[in-house]
Amino acid sequence: MTRLASMSPGLPRATRFCGELGQRVVTGTMYPALIADHMWTLASRSALPVLATTLPTGMVVALQGLNVFDLFGAQRLLSSLISVAVFRELSPVLSSMLVAAQGGASFAAELGSMRIQEEIDATEVMAIDSLRLHVLPRVIAAVITTPLMHLLGTGAGIAGGWVVAVLMRGEPSGVYWANLWALTQPLDLWGGVLKTAVFGLIIGLTATYRGYFATGGAPGVGVAVNETVVQSVLGFVAANYVLTSLMYGSAP
Amino acid sequence: MSGHVRGFARFVGRTASRAWHHPIPTGKVWEQAWFIGVKAMPILLTMTAFIGSNLALQGYYAFKALGGQSLLGMFVSLAGVREMAPLMVAAMTAAKAGTEMASQLAVMRIREQIDALEVMSIDPYTWLVVPRCLGILIALPALTMMCILTLIGTAWLVTMLQLGESGPQFLHTAFGALTGQDLWIALFKAAVFGLLISLISCYCGFRSKPGPRGVGDATNAAVVTSAVVCAVVNYLISEWMYA
Repeated sequence: MTRLASMSPGLPRATRFCGELGQRVVTGTMYPALIADHMWTLASRSALPVLATTLPTGMVVALQGLNVFDLFGAQRLLSSLISVAVFRELSPVLSSMLVAAQGGASFAAELGSMRIQEEIDATEVMAIDSLRLHVLPRVIAAVITTPLMHLLGTGAGIAGGWVVAVLMRGEPSGVYWANLWALTQPLDLWGGVLKTAVFGLIIGLTATYRGYFATGGAPGVGVAVNETVVQSVLGFVAANYVLTSLMYGSAP
Repeated sequence: MSGHVRGFARFVGRTASRAWHHPIPTGKVWEQAWFIGVKAMPILLTMTAFIGSNLALQGYYAFKALGGQSLLGMFVSLAGVREMAPLMVAAMTAAKAGTEMASQLAVMRIREQIDALEVMSIDPYTWLVVPRCLGILIALPALTMMCILTLIGTAWLVTMLQLGESGPQFLHTAFGALTGQDLWIALFKAAVFGLLISLISCYCGFRSKPGPRGVGDATNAAVVTSAVVCAVVNYLISEWMYA
């Protein structure tokens, strides 16, 4: 069997990459310390961008929602709308987008520069499994951290809605909190976590794949980062549609 | 942080003064507009297609609980045109065109090609930054318009084919709810976001640190900063225009 590193780019190599990673998940050690390390990097680097994106977006939802609900005199439904919109759609997509742009991109940049500077080859020369040491912990960290970022983003989005509705438009705060969970179901909570875990897997795999196989010197690292962000975002937006259809289409 | 804010302000000031005082390289502007528009278009359209279909699904499931399926078209067109399309197009443009600008300029910086331009007394701002800013300023509003049509179109298809609701009713409420003002504001947002994305990405590229890691980090910083700034500015514009 040809070695993974010597395969030419394309679908067989990508499939093989995912397959070898899957095989390493079920066999052998997982390096929990490295996973924790990458989780911390990912969380500490993505948390602020996630907050800074979902907060204004929650504010925008409140603003537009109030514009529409004022027509019907249904302002009390505002917080229910915000929690549904943020929980089901905005926070999963925006948080994952920021995790891809910040964490995924930095994974690709790290692995890419390790590949260019022949550090990955050096690990292989020392008979250390580079996939297990460099790639797998990053993928697992992305799968665990993305749902956490989604929950953080949900909190920020709902807080942003509260700022606009209560502080700026003077809606009663009690009504806001009382109706917050009126339309959300348990499905929204675990469905969102499940969805973002899948998004995290897509981000982790894309980022490590692009970084691990980066070629062409310093510009190659830039290309790897670029492709990581674009392809992982496209990938999880498409997955989002499929998952939403499956989860809510079958629910009553 | 404050150093970056000051550096960025100086960068914007220089770019603006060059755009004002120096002759603009028109050929390069069109080249960039073409480059950004054509290279980003398939990705942007694919993404907005999924955003549109998802808006339709989520709107449908949320409104069904209230018995308001007939409002689906209005929901999709208002949420889509006013907020989702401009924001998502900006995020994806930052991811595609912004990262490309940042990594190109970062590579030019670390290979000292920017210094070489200065040595040849070609102004790097006029030659590299101004065309990118003006090019994206032309390309992004056009792309946003196409994305809005794609978004409503896919939402319409999903409503008819997957959800089994009435297609004509969807289109009626969708276009009934839209006003010309909504479209103008979406275009205005696109222009502002385009300018911000190009300035931030070029700045990050110009400030790149040496080595492959520096290029990667500059590219990374470009996309994150532009996405965050666009989300915040999106709120400010909406607050200004719609409140």
